Amino acid sequence: MKIMDFLSSKAITANIKSTDKNSVIKELVDLLINSQEVDKKHKNKLIELLKNREALGSTAIGQGVGIPHAKSDCVNKLIAAIGISKRGVDFESLDGELVYIFFLLLAPQDSAGPHLKALARISRLLKDKYFRDNLKSAEDEKAILKIIQQEDEKKV
Amino acid sequence: MKSVKKTIVVKNKQGLHARPAALFVQIANKFDSQITVSREGETVNGKSIMGILTLGATKNSEIIVEAVGRDCQEAILELEKIVSNNE
Repeated sequence: MKIMDFLSSKAITANIKSTDKNSVIKELVDLLINSQEVDKKHKNKLIELLKNREALGSTAIGQGVGIPHAKSDCVNKLIAAIGISKRGVDFESLDGELVYIFFLLLAPQDSAGPHLKALARISRLLKDKYFRDNLKSAEDEKAILKIIQQEDEKKV
Repeated sequence: MKSVKKTIVVKNKQGLHARPAALFVQIANKFDSQITVSREGETVNGKSIMGILTLGATKNSEIIVEAVGRDCQEAILELEKIVSNNE
């Protein structure tokens, strides 16, 4: 599975403006709506689902990475957005670190397989400090896209 | 150094996704023992959520959990509970 199989090239931002958890979630959902991957009418529903998921335990899995995610039939395939915060956000991460790299992942209900595969793929990349540092210092959306596409090329 | 190695079948309904992975790591970190998890020849640090997620362990797949250290027995017991919980 490649990242670009589910990451919308238009749902990328090199500059997350929000500084708190709820606003970041909203900003990431907006990113998907603006990229026309998700219908605007689902906005509030998705935000609610993502917040509910966070309430079960933060999706900030450590090392400055957050993967807010939810399953919903508001989407008919796995889709993702990526956002980088320059200053870092308190996302109640499990290691207490601020989060700089956000991967928002939405999957249809009953898609445990692809969802797990996508999480595995994202984690494999983000485990690499060099990759994380590259993303964090990416100047703009184009640069982020290029970094991810390069990684996708490496492993089929 | 004492060590225990155990093959466990993943029973979580949706495999070792983010929540059980987080729980696994939380428990693993309570112990002094070094903990590793392997699946299909790949071995990761059992105290890293990203590591566990990398395995993409689906329901009914087998993982090998290894603990090395003085509290390895207790660690394996606790960790097995999480992986074989079918919620």
